[in-house]
Amino acid sequence: MAEGVAIFAEWAGDGLHPVSFELLSEARRLADELESKVKAFFPAPPGQESQAEALIRHGADEVLYASHPAFENFLDDAASRLLVKMIREDTPEIFLFPATARGQALAPRVAGYLRLGLTAHCIAFEIGKEDRTLIQIRPSFGENVMAKIISLTKPQMATVRPGVFPKAKEDPARRGEIKKFPVSDEDARSALKVLERRPKAAPKVDLSRAKVVVAGGRGLGTKEFFAKLFELAELLEGAVGATRPVCHLGWISEDHMIGVSGQTVSPRLYFGFGISGAVHHLVGIRNPGLMVAVNTDPEAPLMKKADVAVVGDVREVLPLLIRRLKELKGESHEA
Amino acid sequence: MRFMVCLKPVPEPGTVRVDPETHTLKRESATLILNPADRYALEAAVELKEKTGAEVVAVMMGPPNAAPLLKEAYACGADEVYLLSDRAFAGADTLATSYVLSLAAQKLGAFDLIFCGKVSIDGETAQVGPELAAWLDWPSVIWVKELSPVEGGFEVVRVTDEGEERLVAKTPILFTIEPESNDPRPPSVKRLLEMLEKDVPTLTAEDLGADPARLGLEGSPTRVLDVFTPTYEGKKELLEGAAEEVVEKLVSILKERGLI
Ligand SMILES: Cc1cc2nc3c(=O)[nH]c(=O)nc-3n(C[C@H](O)[C@H](O)[C@H](O)COP(=O)(O)OP(=O)(O)OC[C@H]3O[C@@H](n4cnc5c(N)ncnc54)[C@H](O)[C@@H]3O)c2cc1C
Repeated sequence: MAEGVAIFAEWAGDGLHPVSFELLSEARRLADELESKVKAFFPAPPGQESQAEALIRHGADEVLYASHPAFENFLDDAASRLLVKMIREDTPEIFLFPATARGQALAPRVAGYLRLGLTAHCIAFEIGKEDRTLIQIRPSFGENVMAKIISLTKPQMATVRPGVFPKAKEDPARRGEIKKFPVSDEDARSALKVLERRPKAAPKVDLSRAKVVVAGGRGLGTKEFFAKLFELAELLEGAVGATRPVCHLGWISEDHMIGVSGQTVSPRLYFGFGISGAVHHLVGIRNPGLMVAVNTDPEAPLMKKADVAVVGDVREVLPLLIRRLKELKGESHEA
Repeated sequence: MRFMVCLKPVPEPGTVRVDPETHTLKRESATLILNPADRYALEAAVELKEKTGAEVVAVMMGPPNAAPLLKEAYACGADEVYLLSDRAFAGADTLATSYVLSLAAQKLGAFDLIFCGKVSIDGETAQVGPELAAWLDWPSVIWVKELSPVEGGFEVVRVTDEGEERLVAKTPILFTIEPESNDPRPPSVKRLLEMLEKDVPTLTAEDLGADPARLGLEGSPTRVLDVFTPTYEGKKELLEGAAEEVVEKLVSILKERGLI
């Protein structure tokens, strides 16, 4: 019988990917509701027992540690065959993957081999009361709709982007079991050989930690005017975010995208200029301190959601706001 | 060598409607375009063909009205194009879609490489490529941005969360191609004209020898239970009026909150 809520604990080359702890917090919540166990499936190189213990302290009841020197690197084919083997033996009821580069390479391969359903980029889960089904919630096709999706197969599998769930709290007293899952050289065989890892020179735009996010949408009208957001961001010591259409229009790179296809932010202050507020965008804004929207249309969803809804034309409001903040800065410098 | 490229017809943003019964996309109602990311997959295959003398076969699962997109793919350098089309394919999730593509790969092969786009703009799951590889029991590498033939396989550079990785990969293998890693060529007018009068060959479920239980909605292990539009009731502050005034009010709110 299928049992347990499993996560893929991601070895990121020099330690666990932090998203592993985010998955653990949600897996713990689901397992408690189901009165079941949390299992972390952890393929990694040998000698990572301390990482396995960290998984336990963050909520795992069992860690299935599959160690082999080949897993120093991420090998899509070997890792997926191994997970298939682990799932066949350990049969969890639910399996959550991170929607990281590795998770997105791996989860669909596992789904393909095992002929399973897989729901991408979920933003919330619920448990069906009668039948223990995992209800997977994600923004759907089309504008402004969320879908509740279920899988008819087990384990019920889904991916979750980094930043969607809070990091699990550490409890030094937590106990659990580390099981060694045997890995043969045959299991680790791969058609891939990693020759070189090249870390990013400059980190990609990391909005997730920004205290202030100044985001803009199609309502800003032009690439040139969109660039004004950088001025405001500098004044507020914040980062610039964007909706998907403006990234596709080439006003700004996709690294700045907020939402289901982009990053998740949780700033103390979020500004949305000329953004309608489609769910695809809104799901990327978690627990904002203060949300301010500026839009000509008071009926736009973001205006309904915001704490402060400014009815106005961005072409007037944005330059004025920048000027006013500059004046204030000037005053405080003089003071 | 022989390469397959998987192309997806997607509704032009803004023209899509959702079936209220099954909550799947009503593709018939939409204007179809070639999924933007797939152009880079096609270009990567065509560029590699020019280096290695391979054949490029473009396949697309879609409704009959998607056929012109395959003519365009031919004009962009594909040597053969096939539409995989059958009423039984309707409502397929990624597993049922990748199953059909895997049948085409076996029927039209033997292939050395399969190219897919990174992600589609409608479903946005990025699952079909790696799922297809699993159906075939092939290896796969996603987010490939550079690709060159070497002894016994290919050297590739893939994008990772930490940066990039250079690796060698044995064939057969499936790649998903990183957008903007090449410069997709415009369709050749000469090749477009060549296709003008021709029909795009279509393969049905029967032609592919498909197991009916694996097709379409029936063969899809995921189900949409419900869709809903979130509503928001905030105890929000609505600032209206002359721009100077609203900005002044806004600034005082930010000050009050200690945000500036
Ligand atoms: C599968 C999928 C995934 C997606 N993922 C994402 C994602 O991750 N992130 C994302 O953001 N989107 C995503 N989208 C797109 C999303 O559905 C919306 O289309 C998008 O967020 C809307 O962007 P927008 O607000 O910039 O544009 P619009 O919806 O066009 O809104 C523009 C707004 O500007 C206002 N406006 C116009 N002129 C002015 C003016 N002069 N002054 C003030 N206001 C003005 C208008 O009233 C309007 O509300 C996704 C869509 C799909 C189908």
